[in-house]
Amino acid sequence: MSVLPMKRVLICALKKDRKEILEFLQRQGACEIHSTLACDDVFMRQDKTQAAATYHRSAEQCEQALTVLGEHAPEKSGLLSMLDGKTAISDDEFEERIKSVNDAMQDVSSILAYDKKCTDAKAEIPRIESQVVALEPWLGYDLPLDFDGTKASAVFTGTLPGDLTLDQAEAMIKEQTPEVDDLDVNVISSAPEQTCLYIICGRKHEDEVREALRKLNFAKPPASSTNPVEAKTGLEERLGELNNILTTNDAKIKELAVEREKIRFASDYYRLRADKYDVLSQLSQSRVTFIVEAYIEERYCDSLGKYMNEKFDLIFETEDPAPDEEPPVALKNNGFVSPVESVVESYSLPTKHEFDPSTLVSIFYYFLFGMMLSDAGYGIIIVIATSLALLKKKNMGEGMKRTMKMFLYCGISTTFWGFMFGSFFGDAVNVIATTFFGRPDIKLSPIWFDQLDSPMRMLSFCFLVGIIHLFVGLGAKAYGCFKNHDPLGALYDCIFWYMLVGGAIFYLLTLPMMSSMLGIATLSAGVGKVAGVVAIIGLIGVILTGGRESHNWFKRILKGLYSAYGITSWLSDILSYSRLLALGLATGVIAQVFNKMGSMVATGTGLIGVIFFIIIFIIGHTLNLLINALGAYVHTNRLEYVEFFGKFYDGGGKAFEPFKQNTKYFTIKEEL
Amino acid sequence: MENLGLFFALAGAVCSALMAGIGSSIGVGHAGQAAAGVVTEDPSKFSKVLILQLLPGTQGIYGLLIAFITLTQIGIMGGDSNISLEKGLLYFAACMPMAFVGLVSAIQQANAAVSAIALVSKKPDQFGKAMIFPAMVETYAILALLVSILSIFGIASLSI
Repeated sequence: MSVLPMKRVLICALKKDRKEILEFLQRQGACEIHSTLACDDVFMRQDKTQAAATYHRSAEQCEQALTVLGEHAPEKSGLLSMLDGKTAISDDEFEERIKSVNDAMQDVSSILAYDKKCTDAKAEIPRIESQVVALEPWLGYDLPLDFDGTKASAVFTGTLPGDLTLDQAEAMIKEQTPEVDDLDVNVISSAPEQTCLYIICGRKHEDEVREALRKLNFAKPPASSTNPVEAKTGLEERLGELNNILTTNDAKIKELAVEREKIRFASDYYRLRADKYDVLSQLSQSRVTFIVEAYIEERYCDSLGKYMNEKFDLIFETEDPAPDEEPPVALKNNGFVSPVESVVESYSLPTKHEFDPSTLVSIFYYFLFGMMLSDAGYGIIIVIATSLALLKKKNMGEGMKRTMKMFLYCGISTTFWGFMFGSFFGDAVNVIATTFFGRPDIKLSPIWFDQLDSPMRMLSFCFLVGIIHLFVGLGAKAYGCFKNHDPLGALYDCIFWYMLVGGAIFYLLTLPMMSSMLGIATLSAGVGKVAGVVAIIGLIGVILTGGRESHNWFKRILKGLYSAYGITSWLSDILSYSRLLALGLATGVIAQVFNKMGSMVATGTGLIGVIFFIIIFIIGHTLNLLINALGAYVHTNRLEYVEFFGKFYDGGGKAFEPFKQNTKYFTIKEEL
Repeated sequence: MENLGLFFALAGAVCSALMAGIGSSIGVGHAGQAAAGVVTEDPSKFSKVLILQLLPGTQGIYGLLIAFITLTQIGIMGGDSNISLEKGLLYFAACMPMAFVGLVSAIQQANAAVSAIALVSKKPDQFGKAMIFPAMVETYAILALLVSILSIFGIASLSI
């Protein structure tokens, strides 16, 4: 259980070694750059954000190209490929591969160019298709659609609304233009919504006819300077061309799919450089020297300083962080505890006044998760799945590895509680024995007791677990007080509460009503008296000290009374542990539902029944396992965050984010 | 009409599965819409928002659980199905906490889940906290489940 001690380090070195030193620090990943020195006449900061932005952009382009490749030539990847992690390459290989970065960038720009052509073509195709559709009704017309006549005659081409015959159209137009005598109306095609026509008249009547047509809502045809058939052929040719562009560019992109690894490397390479340049702009630099200020884990201090002193000409100074400073927080725990560090992290990291609660969290985490899922069959499945993943996928990322380990321990605990409560895929043993072998007497008997048979007993046990969990939390608070040299705080805020809550619980257990409800033996009246006195001393203590930050006694007692009211939150906290029973029952009963369904089908149907039973069994239990594992995960987190942390832990520390090789696809193996 | 007890007991069982199921399907549906919206922007958040989407789904399962326990207790799934009217009414009452709390809490939990999904879409690293907000609502469904379970087991041992 520990927060890693941090030191401040100041490295002053020659500028000629700058590149090498930064790359060395990046590879070690042990320092978080944290610059505080102000600029003066000698030491200034160089603004390298421009360069960093360029590299970020290059990395971004690589990612885009990879996305494009993914769309055009998807990689075959199994369901479990997310567990694969990064590819490990050696230092020499890294240097070797840097040579391929320029090639990769050319590939990236061609991929992006091909993709742009594809997107443009894809955008144009529907536009052309709609133009072809618009031309369809005009195909019977053999003049260009924008032809407006000869010297002596005017031609109007366009549509009138509605489905009109030639006579109707002619009559409508003639009605508007009674004095025009040289009018010739022709219908090209007609559809329910519109009729396409062309109208010829003498030039001298052009204006009157135009005016008349306007009144009739005469609409222009699609713009085209050739006749409709030719226009359509033109458009269709263009469509062919576009489809051609699509296929050729698609093929070109597919060809480049073999370069995927190279592009991935380039992406990582640029990411590394961008990070380096980001750091570079934070450094104070004089004409020939530069200064790195950073936080470093204490355990690396000596070895790193020694190594760097040997290799470069530099000054390597370390000091403890100032008392008012909040150094970044990194946690270090053994293999059993470290998997739940992420649980603590996602709540909040400890500040420097707090200690790392991971150890306490881990014990209860596995314990509570197991109680909620509580089925040996499911536990064994989780254990097998996580151990296989851990054994097979060596390169798995650190975070994923921890999650797997966490579920491995949770799985072991689940198996344990499953046997304690006699649940193995629900009542599968009994159901299979009864249905297929006619032996209803065979069943897996619980080592301790069956939750379903005695729920009240289970409920009392849940409350007991809750009280222990909460008291440990309170103990952790006392520990924190001692650590901060505040033993009186431990008495006021912890011991009094132990007395109050503990006394009250024992007092309640002497009442026959409570003990008969919980199904346990009633404690004797003598115990009740002692417990009552202890509780009252605790209560008085809490009332007197709960508001001790106020000097006014009246105010202080009022605040004390208010803090004594906090006993209600203890009640709700303890009741909250009833979810251990509810979720445990949920797993067991739903497993039984599926077993029952299976056995109903299987009874007296022979071999087919067996097959159906197996299918129902697999689907049903997979579903139940997934849903209840989710429930157990969520509610274990809740009990830890709300009930447990509520007693002693606030957090608020800042995570340690070292300057390191923040890559996405490759890890470079250390060769030191 | 001589077996009215069985009718009431069955009605209780059906109500708990029915109402909690309705609540959960509404809830999971709402949360699913929000989750799908996030995935259109960033498919890599799929697993996180999926977990948040599923949170309001548990009420339906609790409802099923109560229904199933009741069905086995009253002998619908085999056994003696002779239930007195009083007992039938008691079973009916015992199923009500799960039915009503399941319905309402699933919908309310979905509202919290939708907001939590929005939170995760903006700050994926805050997933742990985002998960707790909807889980707080579920507490009350769990309490209702407990009351229903304990009542149903209790009724079985009564001699009326």
